[in-house]
Amino acid sequence: MLLALTLSCLAFVARTGVFLGALTAVNALVFLLLRPQGVSWWRQGRYFLFQSSIIVALYIIRFGSLAGIWDGLLISWQLFLAFWPSMVFAKTTSQAKIVRAMNRIMPSRMSFVLATCIKFAPHLLEEVQDIYEGQVLRGARILPRDLIKPWNWPDVVRCVIVPAVVQGMALAGNIALAARARDFGLYSKRTCWPGE
Amino acid sequence: MGVLVQLKNFSYAYPEAQTPVLNDVSLEIEAGRCYCLTGPTGSGKTTLALALKGLLEKDDSSGEILCPRQSGRADFRIGLVLQNPETQLLATTVGAEVAFGLENLCIDPAAMPDRVAAALSLADLRKPLDYPVARLSMGQKYRLLVAALLVMKPHLLILDEPAAQLDPEGLAALHQTLSDLKATGVAVVLCEHHPGPLLELIDQFWQLDEDGGLSDGRWQAPGQVPNLRLPEMTSDLSEAPVLLEVRDLAFMGHGEEAVWDGASFDIRRGQCVVVTGLNGTGKTTLLRVLAGFLKPSSGSVRIFNAEPVPQLLRGRLGCLFQNPHKQIFENTVREEIAFPLKRLGWPPDQRAARIEEALSFCGIESLSDDSPHKLSYGQKHLVAMASVLAPAPEMLFLDDPFAGLDCARQEDVMQVLTRWNRERGVTLLWTSHDPGQIPALADGHLHIEGGRIGWR
Repeated sequence: MLLALTLSCLAFVARTGVFLGALTAVNALVFLLLRPQGVSWWRQGRYFLFQSSIIVALYIIRFGSLAGIWDGLLISWQLFLAFWPSMVFAKTTSQAKIVRAMNRIMPSRMSFVLATCIKFAPHLLEEVQDIYEGQVLRGARILPRDLIKPWNWPDVVRCVIVPAVVQGMALAGNIALAARARDFGLYSKRTCWPGE
Repeated sequence: MGVLVQLKNFSYAYPEAQTPVLNDVSLEIEAGRCYCLTGPTGSGKTTLALALKGLLEKDDSSGEILCPRQSGRADFRIGLVLQNPETQLLATTVGAEVAFGLENLCIDPAAMPDRVAAALSLADLRKPLDYPVARLSMGQKYRLLVAALLVMKPHLLILDEPAAQLDPEGLAALHQTLSDLKATGVAVVLCEHHPGPLLELIDQFWQLDEDGGLSDGRWQAPGQVPNLRLPEMTSDLSEAPVLLEVRDLAFMGHGEEAVWDGASFDIRRGQCVVVTGLNGTGKTTLLRVLAGFLKPSSGSVRIFNAEPVPQLLRGRLGCLFQNPHKQIFENTVREEIAFPLKRLGWPPDQRAARIEEALSFCGIESLSDDSPHKLSYGQKHLVAMASVLAPAPEMLFLDDPFAGLDCARQEDVMQVLTRWNRERGVTLLWTSHDPGQIPALADGHLHIEGGRIGWR
């Protein structure tokens, strides 16, 4: 966890191409050593390309010339390197290990909440996907080709993000109820499952 | 047998609700007995289960809940499994999931593995402790939740609608588990309409009425006819053009086994087809594949004589969610219905007429200027439906449209769908987790079981 945090923080500090290159090499080395399952280069690369194209486009608009391309690429690469170590960490470490590690630096209840957030993130993403697909069929202009036009961007906020926040809050309520139904919060401290 | 829990004149109202959901409820739960709580959707069965577990806010309740815990027995435990296993499974592996309750009770970690293994054996779920929860079937997930409660050695076990989550094999296993528990003096409360094979375990039925009152006896849903006869498909429909053509369709998902495969069927214009299957069998996945949001592993889909491409289906195919909260975002009901019409390019004069028609069709004219977010769940459902129907789609996918609705609202929704189907010829394809509830409107019934989709 410390390694992931350090690599993520370094990505924010890195300001030059050389520093970013070195950091990329370290990340690649860690990736090869740990070989996480379920990490798709294509899927992450696709998000990176999408994110990069938006950032570069915004930089070109901001500077009014192609000079913004290099700065835009550096920023998007920084963001990618900030996110990448956390994903490798999440894919290579069991939830029980994460909780045990976090228990050393924070109250056990808080570490449970954080670990549960990580666990339910994919579930929330599925809910967002459901919302997105339903709104597409209702006519919302939120398909990737629609979002090339900035005037369609408010549809994402109104049709997807607003219902997703409502769903997220409902999900959080259900999870909290399920945890309390199994006596979470009965005592101020918790022990930790020794497995995995 | 001794009384474990007693409710005396217990009432509860949710914050900001006008009327109490539980009204002057009195009951006694004795050790070693099994009770079945019945009542219409929304009558307060889950709320009563939460009250027994002590999970309701005391400020909003009146009356008394008496249990040994109050008289100093700290080891007295009540276990509660809620309806949806997906939001109750908090860990990634079987062992960690079952151990969650032990962690909360501050049990020594060294003692956990043996207790977890014993609870899994009692729930008849024989999986390694590091087995990923995500790979379990829905029935196995439910049994995992039962194991996660048994490990805490409860004196009272409350199960909210177990039959909706379990296949026949899972129900048989649960029957054995509950029978063993009863024999050891554990009391069981089932909140269930269709106890199925669990029926013989039940010693007493309770029914909640729509005013929140509790009485002895079993509630029977009006209109739930066990042997409902499906009307024969009319000759007109059998000659109607095929709108949806599915051939040898299979979908793998992320697992090693196909979610389902070998699906081949046609749906013609004006037909109403119901797809049934237990939770987790891939009903929603089927709709997503048919709409072109997911790519099948093999086979073909043709909808409106073309490959399914979402942007080309806008306006022709509508999709109604099980949960209206996933759809609603505008400030008024009228704006919510207007949204798809605006995006699909309807001229303003036609748009206004269409909105009025959709409001009238769904019987929600009086709500047109209200905020959809402040309506009841059933009203929100009708708003979502009006919004989907307003652009007059040729085909409508409905994902478990009756889930969570009381009988009156189910009838409202049914009336709208019947008129839209029979009068306008809209083709309907809807999913349901309950194979026993096939509406008379249905011209065909597809069932998903064991990874196969077939006509019934």
